[in-house]
Amino acid sequence: MLEVLRATFAWAAIATLLVMVPGTLVAYLLARKEFRGKTAVSTLFSLPLVLPPTAVGYLLLRLFAYDGPLGEGTLGLDLDVILSPRAVVIACAVMATPLVVRTARVSFEGVDPRYEEMARTLGHGRAATFFRFTLPLARRGLIAALILGFTRAVGEFGATIILAGNIPGRTQTLATAIFSAQQAGREGEANVLLIIALVAGFVAVYAAEHLSRTHAAAVRR
Amino acid sequence: MTHPVLCVHVTLPLDRFGLDVAFETTHRVTGIFGVSGSGKTTLLETVAGLRRGARGRIALNGDVWLDTEKRVRVPPEGRGIGYVPQDSLLFPHLDVLGNLRAGHGRARRGAGDVDATLDGVVTVLGLQPLLSRAPSTLSGGERQRVALGRALCSGPRLLLLDEPLASLDAALRRKVLPFLRRVRDEFALPMLLVSHDPVEVQALCDDLVVLNEGRIVARGEPRAVLTRPEVFTLGEGEVEGFQNVIPAQVVETRDGVSVVRLGGAAEGPLLTVHRSGLAPGSALLVGIPADEITLALQPPPGLSARNAVPARVERVQQVGASRLVTVRVAAGAPPLVAEVTADALADLHVAPGTGLYLLVKASAVTLYEDGAGAA
Repeated sequence: MLEVLRATFAWAAIATLLVMVPGTLVAYLLARKEFRGKTAVSTLFSLPLVLPPTAVGYLLLRLFAYDGPLGEGTLGLDLDVILSPRAVVIACAVMATPLVVRTARVSFEGVDPRYEEMARTLGHGRAATFFRFTLPLARRGLIAALILGFTRAVGEFGATIILAGNIPGRTQTLATAIFSAQQAGREGEANVLLIIALVAGFVAVYAAEHLSRTHAAAVRR
Repeated sequence: MTHPVLCVHVTLPLDRFGLDVAFETTHRVTGIFGVSGSGKTTLLETVAGLRRGARGRIALNGDVWLDTEKRVRVPPEGRGIGYVPQDSLLFPHLDVLGNLRAGHGRARRGAGDVDATLDGVVTVLGLQPLLSRAPSTLSGGERQRVALGRALCSGPRLLLLDEPLASLDAALRRKVLPFLRRVRDEFALPMLLVSHDPVEVQALCDDLVVLNEGRIVARGEPRAVLTRPEVFTLGEGEVEGFQNVIPAQVVETRDGVSVVRLGGAAEGPLLTVHRSGLAPGSALLVGIPADEITLALQPPPGLSARNAVPARVERVQQVGASRLVTVRVAAGAPPLVAEVTADALADLHVAPGTGLYLLVKASAVTLYEDGAGAA
């Protein structure tokens, strides 16, 4: 059972880290730049939040199917995604993206752009300004984005079960393990998994709340 | 210096009017004076390279920062600017020392010893006790000093000061102004200072550009420009009356009052002020409100006001219902302006060349010490 927990957390962590870098950049662009189709881009990145996760999973399945755009038949190369641990990571990453992008965007919007202008006048180029001033000033919000993305990834069920299946010892996660245990009437196992999920979820959300609250206080100053 | 220090020829469309400014200055400290909303800050941001829509030409000591015809636009990080905004804008994620070091990368690429500069700035601005503090724990005057220090430590070639004293109350302003004067005198940097406060402008600038609705409406020596009727009335409602700010030297101090010599010249007239504990020989600035000066043809007997300063009329100008009488108290001293009503002046038959006495209550005089106390 602990093996399921360990695997779930590892997959969720990899998925979150994969999303963080591009997600932060997209969030920064959405927060700071005006461009054509900005609303469309912003909507697209929020879509997994409103679609049924199973729909997202099915979409991914079509994408990676043999005749799909990223399938072996099209690429001439087997990415070996479907029903593999890789599929869990991809499903989790896609489902975590909206939370990461939206939270990071809000934290960038909370940084007065005049700090960035000030950094520029002090001799820092765009990149140095971003890394040495914007990121540190937005850090609490970005940590909150990381935690929220991670918790979303840990709890992912619908997309995962369609793309990765629910194979014990291979692609089974905390969420799908609870589903299996409950369906098979193994109540004791389901209860233990439930308690693990409760504790992990509480700790993560509590930390995110705490960070965003101190962030808001810091911005008000 | 014969070639211009700073050339600014820019246009920039704004919401209510367009900024359209052209001036060149050979002076080290140039002031941009105008009421709020006249385009002063926008002009400063344009010089800093923060306004992308600006067109025209900007050059410092011959280095071109902007030339839209030749498609030159040096980004802000390439201009070598020390920008001190009105609200100081200290980085909240760094302590005071971190803020002072925020521009060290550029300072290192330039000439000069970065650590020696930092030490000098900390000493001149009295920042030693603040170095490990977080910006949020600083008072308004301390923030402005740190912002000034951060700009100075970044190896700038031009200091841009945006209303450095505007966010401070009168008492603090009196304490921070001497720091600005020390910075002006000890760091030989060209400065562009935006202000709506005649005191600040007279105390710091050699040259003044007056801006109204994005255009230059007057230009020249600060005291002369500020007392032009069309400029004099600009600040009304924003600044409480015009204050003459002139240099002086402490002669003696006793019984809670001090005597200072106006203009700094040996033959300058004496003025008694309400302040004790001033060191004889030390330099300061005295502020005398124009409407606190009474004119008399003879020194009146039995007078309660401490000061009757002999002076000669240079000019009489009309400003609304009042008259501005420009007088000179000593050959070397800058002129003073008295604001009196038209009726009162008519009774005196004052004309250029008339000798008279300025009556000033000691309590009406404000002192701006040059020695840097804590702000």
